[in-house]
Amino acid sequence: MNTIDPPPPARAVAGPPPPVADGAWHRVHPLTPAIRSWQALVVVLVVAVQDAGQNVLRQAAGSGLDDGGPDAAWLRTAAPVGALVLALVVGVLALSWRMTRYRVTGEALELRHGVVVRRQRRARLDRLQAVDLVQPLVARIFGLARLKLEVAGGSGSSIELSYLTDTQARQLRNHLLAAAAGLTYQTPQAPEAPERPIAEVPVPRLIASLFLDGGVLVGIVAVTVVIAAGLAVAGVAASAGLLPAALGVVTVLWRRFASAFGFTVTVSPDGLRLRHGLLEHRAQTVPPGRVQAVQLSQPLLWRGRDWWRVVVNVAGYTGRGDNQRTENELLPVGTRAEAVALLALVVPDLGIEPGEDALAVVAAGLDGDGRCPGGYLTSPRQAVWVDPIAWRRNGVRVTQEVMLVRRGRLRRRLGVVPHVRTQSCGISQGPLQRLLGLASFHLHSTRGPIDPVVPHLRERDAADLLSDQAVRARRARRTAPPERWLERPDSTSDRTGQPSAGVTPPTA
Amino acid sequence: MGGEPFQPPDVAWSGVSARLASARRVTTCLPLALLAIAASALAVLLGVGWLWLVAVAVLAGASWAWWTIGRQVRSWRYAEREDDLLVRHGLLWRTVVVVPYGRMQYVDVYAGPVDRAFRLAKVQLHTASAHSDAYIPGLNPQEAARLRDRLASRGEARLAGL
Repeated sequence: MNTIDPPPPARAVAGPPPPVADGAWHRVHPLTPAIRSWQALVVVLVVAVQDAGQNVLRQAAGSGLDDGGPDAAWLRTAAPVGALVLALVVGVLALSWRMTRYRVTGEALELRHGVVVRRQRRARLDRLQAVDLVQPLVARIFGLARLKLEVAGGSGSSIELSYLTDTQARQLRNHLLAAAAGLTYQTPQAPEAPERPIAEVPVPRLIASLFLDGGVLVGIVAVTVVIAAGLAVAGVAASAGLLPAALGVVTVLWRRFASAFGFTVTVSPDGLRLRHGLLEHRAQTVPPGRVQAVQLSQPLLWRGRDWWRVVVNVAGYTGRGDNQRTENELLPVGTRAEAVALLALVVPDLGIEPGEDALAVVAAGLDGDGRCPGGYLTSPRQAVWVDPIAWRRNGVRVTQEVMLVRRGRLRRRLGVVPHVRTQSCGISQGPLQRLLGLASFHLHSTRGPIDPVVPHLRERDAADLLSDQAVRARRARRTAPPERWLERPDSTSDRTGQPSAGVTPPTA
Repeated sequence: MGGEPFQPPDVAWSGVSARLASARRVTTCLPLALLAIAASALAVLLGVGWLWLVAVAVLAGASWAWWTIGRQVRSWRYAEREDDLLVRHGLLWRTVVVVPYGRMQYVDVYAGPVDRAFRLAKVQLHTASAHSDAYIPGLNPQEAARLRDRLASRGEARLAGL
């Protein structure tokens, strides 16, 4: 990475915004280092202010009785060292800012950064999986935003531009999505795609859903019981040790609440756009055909209100790091109608037989079991020995286009994986299953919260499913729609023989 | 043995090298055998009776491992079909994985120090999924290289997007 030729001089970002895809190198916003390290800056400032304040106070009170004593001597040596360290840190931050440059061309987004080790990363736009605009609270105050581009290249393959001004980031996002869609435009700025609202989460519903979620509820009850018992048996002092546990539950609740606050889902030609966040605003865009798998799930206590959560697997959204869970969430809580509408948007064609009711098939997957129709292949009776609670719910329905996987009796789940997105598949069998003549079928999707498994099918059924699915997936791949989703299918002749990795080495 | 679902029809399975069994036996049974010897030596020197029991138990474990390793290694099979690769393994917990060539992102060939001593290599297939963790241990290095090249070329010919 050291052999990269020196970048051409960057153009100033001030003035009227030039067309984003001008192919020139740009710098990120000059406030970036300050915003990235604002916590450290605040600490330094607080310490400095406190120190200065104490000095002033002492001088006012003691009126130079002992010239500050040993404290002053300590300060005389510490202050220059501190200043030096501060200057050094500021220098490094400024240098790293100067070395960070990005460039947008018709086909790719390139980022150069790093002071000691120079890095250059190039993301091909036709491999783009999702674009996120993230605004942490501090960045929001200054009108800045971070642009995160996911390309399918396993973990750590995303490109982050932090920070740009709000409008810059939005224009850049529009351009990236237009370019990824294969859309050309004549105006200087890419047009913002019109949006149509699909669902939003009212705050009372969000709060209720959080408290009714099984895991959280168990946590709250457990902590309350333990603390109450501690208070009763050993008094206040002993139960103070349990405070961290209580704090943990509160933290989890708060995090989920803050990230799902004000959740809205809209749909546009760019794909699904999700906006959410209380302190940190996030606007995610998932283009059509990027969803690898989708799952509707319902914790036990949501059943009374018929609420559902919708999560997706998107390549690049690994569901790890600072925003676990929320990144993959298409809808944290919604009515059945909203959830099914989202499913229909993500998987437009369920590929069921003509004359069959798609809604009935989905409904059978959501809350049906082996005793109701819907064309699901289910676990046989002997599965009760290995799966006593949920065996009736286990089921799989294969259509022309997708595989619907139904599971769970307490926490109901319905996973949908298009055949085009099937990575690989397999079957497995443990010793008990073997005794009962059962086997489980596994469908492999990209990394994410959804792992579609159909447990405890008849051996014969599982084997058939395996051999048929391999054929179906192959056939579906041949007729797959183009990666550039607004492009005409006949102009895709130049797409053959592409390397599959989203991040390619620089070609210059 | 060999239940129906794990024996798809018209598939020509290839096994892995028997040297894999030797390699695994050396790495698991040898330490156990040494432990048994040490225990019996201590039993003789110190005259502690129950150490003999330990030695016998360890020895029994070692011979059981010896026997299972042989069966386990024989259960590793793979088959190259027209459009996909099949890998199956396991005795108690059996699995079959079907990986389409068009889904392979890259192929790794590993050979650790023990593997190299026994002239073995392991081929690992990677798709965009973390779950399709298909690997074939204990191949001849030549066979591993051949398989790698073959998978790579077939993957290229059938490559699909995500």
